Amino acid sequence: MRRTLLLICWLATDAALFIAAYAIAYFLRVGFILSSDFPLSLYLQTVLTVTPLWLAVMLQLGIFRLSRVQSDTRNISHILFAAVLGLALFSLAYYFLHDKFFSRLLLIYAGILSFLFAVVWHLAFDQWQRQMLRRNPPAFPMLVVGANREAERFIKLLNERRSPFKPVAVLDSQGSPHRELGGIPVAGKLNKLEEVIKTMRPTHLVQCSNLEHTINLMSVCRQHRITYLLLPSVLGAIAGSSEIIEGRSVIMVKDGGF
Amino acid sequence: MHVFILAGGFATRLWPLTEKRAKPLLPLAGKPLLSYIIDQIPAGMDITISTNAVFAEDFRKWRKDVPREKIEIHIEDAGHEDQKPGALGAVAMWLESNGIDEDLLLVAGDNYSELNIEKFLEHRTDRPLLAAHDIGETGLAQNFGTIIAGEPASGSPTLPVVSFEEKPLHPKSTFVSTGWWFLPKSCLTVLKEHAISHPDNVGGVFEEFLRRDLKVDCYVFDGRWRDIGSFESYMSIHREIVGERAIVDPGSSILAGTELMGSIVIGPNVKIEKSILRDCIVFGKTTILDSVLEGCIIDENCTLESIDLTDKMLRAGTVLRNKGINPKMSGVF
Repeated sequence: MRRTLLLICWLATDAALFIAAYAIAYFLRVGFILSSDFPLSLYLQTVLTVTPLWLAVMLQLGIFRLSRVQSDTRNISHILFAAVLGLALFSLAYYFLHDKFFSRLLLIYAGILSFLFAVVWHLAFDQWQRQMLRRNPPAFPMLVVGANREAERFIKLLNERRSPFKPVAVLDSQGSPHRELGGIPVAGKLNKLEEVIKTMRPTHLVQCSNLEHTINLMSVCRQHRITYLLLPSVLGAIAGSSEIIEGRSVIMVKDGGF
Repeated sequence: MHVFILAGGFATRLWPLTEKRAKPLLPLAGKPLLSYIIDQIPAGMDITISTNAVFAEDFRKWRKDVPREKIEIHIEDAGHEDQKPGALGAVAMWLESNGIDEDLLLVAGDNYSELNIEKFLEHRTDRPLLAAHDIGETGLAQNFGTIIAGEPASGSPTLPVVSFEEKPLHPKSTFVSTGWWFLPKSCLTVLKEHAISHPDNVGGVFEEFLRRDLKVDCYVFDGRWRDIGSFESYMSIHREIVGERAIVDPGSSILAGTELMGSIVIGPNVKIEKSILRDCIVFGKTTILDSVLEGCIIDENCTLESIDLTDKMLRAGTVLRNKGINPKMSGVF
């Protein structure tokens, strides 16, 4: 629920900023007057028509996903792509609706401003959203399965970066001698899984060791509507990414090239 | 003599099979492991099975199906592994609370053995006696309590125990303790005293006997023995006992296109169609369709469709349906 409200807020503010960027571009180009040759009302009407399409592109590109790091180069390039697409949609829409073309400089202003506004706002909103989502009780409590060094590194990473996914407990099939891992309590062996799920109510489970339990952990997750995640290191892959080949999901580890 | 069977563990290493089932109640060739132990114990002996509160109901249910008399279920006050009184602690508490003052046959409820108990008990004296098995390799002995035995007295079928080591890093012997221990009543005080400081170490009490210069004997038996502590050991004893046959519950349906190979046990209400199974245990109430399973243990209420699995234990309620390639999935992430 917290995430849904935040997402609605994010989309609404993004839409407002997109419209604002185009409005500022208008005034920068036309001057701070209301021109009768190039009426602001028609201009804004077109911007309003395009805004939902631009947001749809942003959503489709996964820019609002929790797993996205907003400062990541890929994410910024996606925002740029959405800004360019928004610009193209605006030009076409304006032409179709009003049968006119207009200033190229205005388009450049609008493109640059909508891109910059979106980037800056996304960086700020992301930080605020992380804080809101990590507040106790966390919106996305994560259960870590495995008490190895890889798990510890992952927990530290999530906590240092104040990830929306907050580790709340660790379970280890072998029984860890440690009471905590990266500051997170080790709740016991896998026989405590059901109990931990009942008490901690994790929304995500990340498997960091013991490949032989994969199917059973997935089964538990499915029964409790928990999202299952797997570190590639469990498969012996140090760095891998999910890809799709001919419609089939695969983990890909590549050393340069394709 | 009273028989006390230790069945209070939570068997975490066999998760998920033991998530809702005590290890001694795991089926072996369609019969609970505990039933094999009960069948080995001579008739007429008083038996107490000690278990924890979590699995108490399962043991009571099992008890109803066992026609034998003089079996009592003793419930340890443990709803969790952390609250366990420990195996030796449970024995000591039971001895104390019931005022038991007679010879004791202590049995680990999670072992399968072909020990002839009558023969074993024939060799009892006023010394503790434990049943030992020659596991053959010191590397394998690492996981168990090992026994270093001395030379036998002439004509004696038992060996004097020189030392006892619990799960040693470098075993000096291939004789391992099998979870069958005879304790004369004269030793019970030592057991109770030792249980206060070492409640979880049954094997340790024998080290304590030796430390106190009490003589301990062992009886080495031939035949199979397994500690059902892992997936591998469970599968291995399953293969040995079942052999090259399929034991199928009459309430199950093996439909067209199915091949059952190797050691197969199929529990009640299982439906298998167009599948190949080799060396598998299917507990019950499961549907397997168009799948290839090798060396798998499938717990109850599972559904498998178009799945190939090797050496897997599947949790109760697992649903695996391989819907194949999703042509709608794009390459954009």
